[in-house]
Amino acid sequence: METVLLLLLLFPLGGALLNATVGRLLPRRASEAIACAGVLGALVMAVIAFIRGGGSTQHLTFFPWIQVGDFAAAMDVSYDPLAAVMVLMVTFVSSLIHLYSVAFMRDDGDYVRYFCYLNLFVFSMLVITLADNLLFVYLGWEGVGFCSYALIGFWYTDAANADAGRKAFIVTRLGDVALGVALALFFALFQSFSITYINAHAVGLSPALATALALLLLWAAAGKSAQLPLTVWLPDAMAGPTPVSALIHAATMVTAGVYLLMRLFPVVALSPTAMMIIAGVGAVTILYASLAALAQVDIKRVLAYSTISQVGYMILAVGAADIIGGMFHLLSHAFFKALLFLGAGCVIQALEEEHDIFKMGNLRRLLPQVYWPFLIGALSLSALPMIGGFFSKDRILEAAFMQPQAIYKVYWALATVAAGLTVMYTFRMFFAAFLERPDGRTPETVKPIPRLMVWVLWPLAILALGDGLLNLPGGPGKMLLANFFATVPGARPDLGASPAVSWGLGLGGAALVLAALGLTYLLFRRPRPDIWGRLQDPLCSAFYLDRLYLKCIARPYEYLAGVLWRDVDEGGVDRGLEKAAGGFKILSGFMGLWTTGRLSTYLIMLFFGLTVMFTVLAMSWNW
Amino acid sequence: MPTIVPYSHVLILAAILFLLGAGCAVARRNLLMILIGVEVMLSAGGLAFIGAAMRWQHLDGQAFVIFIMAVAASEVAVGLALIVYSQRRSGTLAADRYDLMKG
Amino acid sequence: MSIYAVMFYVLGAVIVAATALAITRPNVMHAIVCLALSFVATALLFYLLGAPFLAVLEVVIYAGAIMVLFLFIVMMLETKPDEKILGPSRRQWLPVLALGGVCLIVMVVFLLLAAGGPGPLPLVTAAPLAFGRFLFQKYWLAVEIASFLLFVALVGALYLGRGDGTTGG
Repeated sequence: METVLLLLLLFPLGGALLNATVGRLLPRRASEAIACAGVLGALVMAVIAFIRGGGSTQHLTFFPWIQVGDFAAAMDVSYDPLAAVMVLMVTFVSSLIHLYSVAFMRDDGDYVRYFCYLNLFVFSMLVITLADNLLFVYLGWEGVGFCSYALIGFWYTDAANADAGRKAFIVTRLGDVALGVALALFFALFQSFSITYINAHAVGLSPALATALALLLLWAAAGKSAQLPLTVWLPDAMAGPTPVSALIHAATMVTAGVYLLMRLFPVVALSPTAMMIIAGVGAVTILYASLAALAQVDIKRVLAYSTISQVGYMILAVGAADIIGGMFHLLSHAFFKALLFLGAGCVIQALEEEHDIFKMGNLRRLLPQVYWPFLIGALSLSALPMIGGFFSKDRILEAAFMQPQAIYKVYWALATVAAGLTVMYTFRMFFAAFLERPDGRTPETVKPIPRLMVWVLWPLAILALGDGLLNLPGGPGKMLLANFFATVPGARPDLGASPAVSWGLGLGGAALVLAALGLTYLLFRRPRPDIWGRLQDPLCSAFYLDRLYLKCIARPYEYLAGVLWRDVDEGGVDRGLEKAAGGFKILSGFMGLWTTGRLSTYLIMLFFGLTVMFTVLAMSWNW
Repeated sequence: MPTIVPYSHVLILAAILFLLGAGCAVARRNLLMILIGVEVMLSAGGLAFIGAAMRWQHLDGQAFVIFIMAVAASEVAVGLALIVYSQRRSGTLAADRYDLMKG
Repeated sequence: MSIYAVMFYVLGAVIVAATALAITRPNVMHAIVCLALSFVATALLFYLLGAPFLAVLEVVIYAGAIMVLFLFIVMMLETKPDEKILGPSRRQWLPVLALGGVCLIVMVVFLLLAAGGPGPLPLVTAAPLAFGRFLFQKYWLAVEIASFLLFVALVGALYLGRGDGTTGG
């Protein structure tokens, strides 16, 4: 088992290293093959590990990493059901995206760098998933942050892309600070970085400390998962290649924050205040992002805000003490969001880098091979009854509703309204892009796309359709996932809802979705770019959050940096040194006045010396 | 035995004279005046020696005054010759004008 | 306070006054004359302090030879009109006065507290004969060297003052 997990990590790492070192020397196909083999090998290992020990929890140590004095941190791994499923999902989606990338980047000369970073990213994500030692997690955490930065700014020759990468890195860094503080606090309290140890001994923690730790972890998760107030980097991160958006900003990195909260759930759950705040952050983000997505014009930005919103559901699940629901939705979301992104990538390439949905249209006829998978993804995102996403979203809403505190009803209400909005923005995008319209695309403006890109969509589509089967509320094979996760600390398979409430919520949700779908069809059958009128600007800019940060944080910081640069560094330090040197010059000039070459001057100096000698003699006389 | 002033008074008088001579040598710009200041200083030194001879009742102090006078005389001779020579060369007696060694 | 002490103070005052006068005269000629007076007073002081031979020598050598030599040189040198009255200005005297003042205070304090034995000096005169014998007995070598020194000075002065015959007499 140890070998399997070790190979699981080493496959993508090896692929990255090989590509980094000799990638440019090899022919293109070889380099691509190395990259794909790295991830496919990891997938195979993940499947083997799952078959061998999926349901149980195992701890393994790979490598005694740091040993300083009496402080030791090893690369420990904890393979429990949560990790097993996550690893499977990550490797599976990554493999598909790697294959897709081979075709997507076929015209790009920089493919070696791309695949190297992509593999490195998968390695870092697997580290986060598996690691038991929090320092090891931090290693992976930083790794995904770095790879995300490198991949967002992949086409860095365009300054806007480089800026987007930097923005992503800096904003997530703000979250990472909190994680660092939390790590220090963990070590101070438990003298150990081991997640299992901490979870086991968390019971004695005082509520204040638990709240502090939970909020720190929430802030770190908000950074990585783009929750309020750190959402601003994700829409701009769409500057990267579309497969990168699919992998990093749909399935994996944005879920890392939620995953961390789930792993440390026993600690988080100790503080009801923190739980309410977590759920609140999730609920507000859901509504906020849904509203913003309604007015977006770029197809990828719609999906970006959608991701923010859906991850908000997962955070809400954690806040409602339902790890299973959160994990379930994580899986569904990975499948349908990756599917949507990859489909969008096909559309963008077919239409020669066109991102504006109002410049698309007629794609149902022109790109039928993309139309059907995309439709499935859209239906799953909208949580249409009986289709994949419905069950996971429904479970989360139920969990929120069943929480004792009254505020959770408010959260439930927000999330339910947002579910309706989800349908609206999804199908607004879908109708504008794919349905027939007179000013839509004509056949000659549509380029053919490689078949590999389309084939990859289908496994994801099937999963998006059917992943409700993983955790059906009733019937044969019900609660598969829930029971699988029962041994994870903090998991509650049964939400404690009476069948009436459960059915009521479910049917209500279904009705809402169908009604919203009808309303959307009526409103957006024809594309209407200016339907929101004066609201377009606030909605599209996500309520001016970027502008707010610019004015309140970036500009003052820039001003302060300018002051420090001009007035302190150049003015103070440099000028001070100049003044000191000038002072010395004046002093030496003053000294130079004495070398007049005139007899009188020298005589007076003699006299002065004489005076000094007399005085010294008089003073040192022993009276 | 008749007595005269204490020894320190003699030395104080010699000190005053010495400082007057030093002041003249330092403050005046005329080469001749500088030389005169030197003469005054030497004279004061001689006075101090005479006082010392009386204090310790040795004649050595007085002998030394002879030598001081000899040195003073020869120094004045050579010094004045130099002054004459340099006055002929540069046309001026002002000490300030001799500043070729200016830094 | 004996009569000799009074004479000492009077003569001391004369010497100091004459010397102060001498060093502050703008005209070099006046300064030299004042200085000659000062040397004569110094000679009287020497006589008072028991050195008659040296008193005479003081008049002969200092006041007689050296000051007269100065006078000759002053009259010989053709100085420019503005330099004849090249006198001291306040700016030149100030640092000297300051330093001199410090020196004076230090020396006076020091001498009053530390110098010499207690009480006034006994007045003893050295007879010239005894003095001469003493000089040539104990310091005959120094006398020879002094004469040699004078000879060197003579030669040097002769050489330096040779000139090219264009100076006025």
